[in-house]
Amino acid sequence: MKIVKKIKALPDKIRAVPGNISKRLAGAKEILTQGNGKVTASMLVMGLGQLLYKQWVKGAMFAFIQIAFIVYFVLTGATDLFGFFTLGTREGNAWYGVEGDNSVVRLIMGILAIMIIMLYAAIYVSNVKDVYRTQCAIDTLKKPADFKQEAAALLDKSFHKTALALPVIGVCVFSILPIVFMILIAFTNYGGDIVPPALVDWVGFANFGKILSLGQFAPTFFKIFGWNMLWAVLATALNYFAGLGLALLLNKKCVKGKAIWRAFPILAYAIPGFITLLGFKFMFSYGGPINYYIQQGGGEAVGFLGLDAKWSARFIGLAVNAWISIPSTMLLATGILSNVNNDLYEAARVDGASAWKQFIKITLPYVLFATTPVLISQFIGNFNNFGIFYFLRGGLYADGYFLASDTDLLINWLYNMSIDNNYYSIGAAISLVIFVITSIISLTVYVLSPSYKQEETFR
Amino acid sequence: MRKTLPALIAHIAIILAVIIVMGTLGLIAAGLDADGNEKFTGEIERNVTLRILENDTAKEQGYLEELLNAFNEKYAEYGIKAVDANMDQYTDLEKGGPYGYGPDVLYQANDALMKYVDGKHILPLPVEQLECADKVGERAWAAYRAKAGGQEFTFGVPVNIQQPLLFYRKDLLPENWETEWDDDKNGVPDIIENWTDMYRFSQQIRTDSNGARYGYMKSLNDGYFASGYFLSYGGYVFGGEDGKDVSDIGFSKNDGWMGGRIIRQLASVMNFECTEDTITRNSYSRMAQGTYFATMTTPDVYTLFIKEMVNAGYTEQYARDNLIMTDVPALPVSGDLEDESQGFKDMTAMGGVNGYAISSYTKAPNAALAFVNFATSYNMINRRAELLGISPARSDLAEALGGLNETIKENLDKGSIYVMPSVRALAQVWTPLQTYCATIAKDMLDNKNVYAGAEKLKEGIANVDKQIYDAIHTLGGS
Amino acid sequence: MNKANVKVVKTKTKRVLNVLITYCILILVAFIFFFPCLWLILASFSKSGSIYSFDGFFPAQYGFDTFKSLFTDTVMYNYPRWFLNTLFIAVMSCILGTLLTILTAYCMSRFRFKSRKAMMKATLLLGMFPSFMGTIAVYLIMTQFNLINQHWGLILIYSAQAPMGYMVQKGFFDTIPYSIDEAARIDGASNFTVFVKFILPLSKPMLVYTALTSFTWPWSDFILPKMLLIDKDLYTVAVGLMSLGETEFARFAAGSIFIAIPIIVLYFCLVKYMINGMAAGAVKE
Repeated sequence: MKIVKKIKALPDKIRAVPGNISKRLAGAKEILTQGNGKVTASMLVMGLGQLLYKQWVKGAMFAFIQIAFIVYFVLTGATDLFGFFTLGTREGNAWYGVEGDNSVVRLIMGILAIMIIMLYAAIYVSNVKDVYRTQCAIDTLKKPADFKQEAAALLDKSFHKTALALPVIGVCVFSILPIVFMILIAFTNYGGDIVPPALVDWVGFANFGKILSLGQFAPTFFKIFGWNMLWAVLATALNYFAGLGLALLLNKKCVKGKAIWRAFPILAYAIPGFITLLGFKFMFSYGGPINYYIQQGGGEAVGFLGLDAKWSARFIGLAVNAWISIPSTMLLATGILSNVNNDLYEAARVDGASAWKQFIKITLPYVLFATTPVLISQFIGNFNNFGIFYFLRGGLYADGYFLASDTDLLINWLYNMSIDNNYYSIGAAISLVIFVITSIISLTVYVLSPSYKQEETFR
Repeated sequence: MRKTLPALIAHIAIILAVIIVMGTLGLIAAGLDADGNEKFTGEIERNVTLRILENDTAKEQGYLEELLNAFNEKYAEYGIKAVDANMDQYTDLEKGGPYGYGPDVLYQANDALMKYVDGKHILPLPVEQLECADKVGERAWAAYRAKAGGQEFTFGVPVNIQQPLLFYRKDLLPENWETEWDDDKNGVPDIIENWTDMYRFSQQIRTDSNGARYGYMKSLNDGYFASGYFLSYGGYVFGGEDGKDVSDIGFSKNDGWMGGRIIRQLASVMNFECTEDTITRNSYSRMAQGTYFATMTTPDVYTLFIKEMVNAGYTEQYARDNLIMTDVPALPVSGDLEDESQGFKDMTAMGGVNGYAISSYTKAPNAALAFVNFATSYNMINRRAELLGISPARSDLAEALGGLNETIKENLDKGSIYVMPSVRALAQVWTPLQTYCATIAKDMLDNKNVYAGAEKLKEGIANVDKQIYDAIHTLGGS
Repeated sequence: MNKANVKVVKTKTKRVLNVLITYCILILVAFIFFFPCLWLILASFSKSGSIYSFDGFFPAQYGFDTFKSLFTDTVMYNYPRWFLNTLFIAVMSCILGTLLTILTAYCMSRFRFKSRKAMMKATLLLGMFPSFMGTIAVYLIMTQFNLINQHWGLILIYSAQAPMGYMVQKGFFDTIPYSIDEAARIDGASNFTVFVKFILPLSKPMLVYTALTSFTWPWSDFILPKMLLIDKDLYTVAVGLMSLGETEFARFAAGSIFIAIPIIVLYFCLVKYMINGMAAGAVKE
């Protein structure tokens, strides 16, 4: 029902879009028509209008940005931007010391150049808006904010701008840029023999066409996708509820020495994941301690992770993953539980509600509310959990699977097919497909979740 | 609209002009022919530092330090200083080299080094100038030759030959081997001379010890070692004259499938641990404890066996006297360990030639060449063999040292060593091959006997070839 | 016995049973989490380096040589150096990463600006990208900025990527009542002051959680340092441990134990903040 409502509401939203745009256009038109000479000056050269208004510091800052930007473009920016389209024109030959273009570096610097242009445009617009604001203030005989006031606003009204500046830049360069790079790689022929110094080219949708035309592909894809979904759901639920349960258990009044009890899972948390995985792999191997005891007891060695151990390997994967992830969920839940309003429980107790009822009515909704985004990111993390089966059961292909084993997740399969063999462009194309699937699922869940819809509940 | 719009347009126009002018200038600059120059001028660069990438054993045993000191002393007048690159021994030159983070000289296996040729990351060398040019055998050089632009170049200088060897405990041989296990009366136990007797002896140990001890043990799923069985019966990795035609995968070609039968039979004297890498890792301590009689591995790990034997309470001298490395046993011509009626033939084992190459990104190619020349000189290789127990690729030295060194050199010359193809696609070979070997070994141990017949074995290995083909070509093929 | 007494006894047995079951589960949980660690600890005291000279989980012979060689035999494996490297990277990334994450989360929770919802959805989506291909791009960026083979390069990446995980913290800030902010703002405090003086003290549990996670990630990460650090003397413990030889299991185990210690110490130092979070509750509704 909710979805139906959403869909019905969609046309309104779409209609609202041109509205927003026209509003903005009106704002732009206003500046263009009403702006005075000083606004014009700032439009021509950033900061000039401000300087004419005797706003020295601000004006100088804008002017500096203007100069820095032009210097950047003269030095590398323009070449980088061109490189984005050409992906390099000269092939290097290291034998004779001929330095060529590195196509992937061209691409990445090109993306960076585009990002910088966008940043510049944003600063330019705010520069014009700023000077227009000053003009309006003077026109209406108000005193425009001086530099001190504006600086103070950065810690108050627009605190979020100050605080978010660094994180946004960092995320843009180290998280968004790589992802944009990868998406774009899907439309090139990068990989195989075509790696630098060879020049890479744009190939449009050819990689996607290649994936679609693969006959062997589909059956394995659906088998792995099914298991991948099952795995992500099971692993997330197990980690989440076990972690929450553990936190609740340790929160019980009757438990003495909480810090000590809590320290045991922390031990697991403190050991790096790959060490844990290698340890567990050894533990369950034919030559490992578990089989040692089985054989001492007169039993036959069991191949827990062996060739035809499909389900036992899957369960071990789940258990090991839980061992690794539960401690952090527990920590998180402990942190969140410490913030529950105790009055609610007291009231519930007065009303004679049982412990279970208190959990269902108070704790769970509260925790769920606070952790839905985490739950989603854990789901995604598990969906794309490369390490578990790579370490536990890497290096074998199962019958009836195309270049994959029966415990492999999509990401492991992707790795087998592309990265292992340097077929980056195909790998990027497949990850794009996987990405579309996972993002549709999780975005739907997120938008429908209470913590998104009723963000204001606890206000 | 008043005068503001032209200002906006002017601003955008100025920015665009800057971009277009500078971008076009950049394109024009790139279009100009930059003439490269020949790097090996013969003139040794002065006052340079050479970063040398060696393997961990050379570092551990102190050989690298000795080598660097000797070289630095000899070239002190040029001010050249060779230093340990201090990087991972498997460092990928392709990754760091172009950005200036690679070593100048690399010692790696031929398949690792030749991988760099496509991207021109290592330099073609004027090997005829080197002292070892006519001392190293033709097949060792061949491992480092490749065509580029219609011309053939040599990209590396062979140092030593790598071949799997049989490691066994001499003190665990049956006391009566001279009468019972030496049919040809050549003074060498047949157990280590051919796989049939090794197999039989392993069976005997199993029965005598009631399953507590083993004869020959090896992780059968290890593709590098297992491939030898298929190669010995006419199988090959890649086809073509130079063994680099990746459209032709040939483990199942000729009688290659027989290798599967041998692997199955060997599994019957082992346990389930042979289907995973456990035995490869526990052979050091199990050999020391005397639980295993023999295994197969490469000579560079010899010291690890000795270390474990010392740990187990033997003196180092005793350990060295009784842990013997020898050439791999011969295989029955029949392809069946229980049928020696047709006699034996040499086993072809997967191997390689380790050597030096020079990074294309080095600032001092001539000094690097001088270093390679020095490091491959008779004395240095001799010292290397002494300290590290390697089998030199130099024929003069192999002959002078004699024994196993000579045998290995001969193996390479007569083709008993299948030199690892230097092709990127080799990476796709292992998983299918490993899965198959583990499957047939497990089939034997489970007594399922699905793969008992020749037909099924042929089908199985043919499927491996197909999987490898798919892995290489499905996504790569255009 | 009268009815009331029976009831008292019943609730009492029920309570005792409850405590008993609780402790049983706790002991089980402790065992599950502790056992593999115990195994590692025992392995580090094994006399022989190989894991296969064990009887089941227990080494056949014990000795202290491993620890000695771990810290003194530094020609090939310079563990003390790696340890200090890791400590430096993790501490710096922890400080910077926590700061950025908390700031991001606070802004996303308390401010309502134009691109907010879009940013929230975007970060959610970005997290979904299979990450291992992105590492190629990160490597290339670092080569362009000349930050390969430097600890600061790693610190930069860890701190810059940390804010992507702001969701947890935002969820936490969402649960702190707005009445606190409003009360403070009426008193004339700026947003910055509200954040520093009122919100931060209430967020200790979340701060601790954030600090712990942003410390642990660089502390135990393997992929990035493996990719970006070339010189062996610059290695982190995780990379160094992976380069250990096959028969060095005891050393591997000893190294793994030392890698766990700082996190456990950190935990014990910080645990009290986690548990008594919003003890008094600044504003009662």
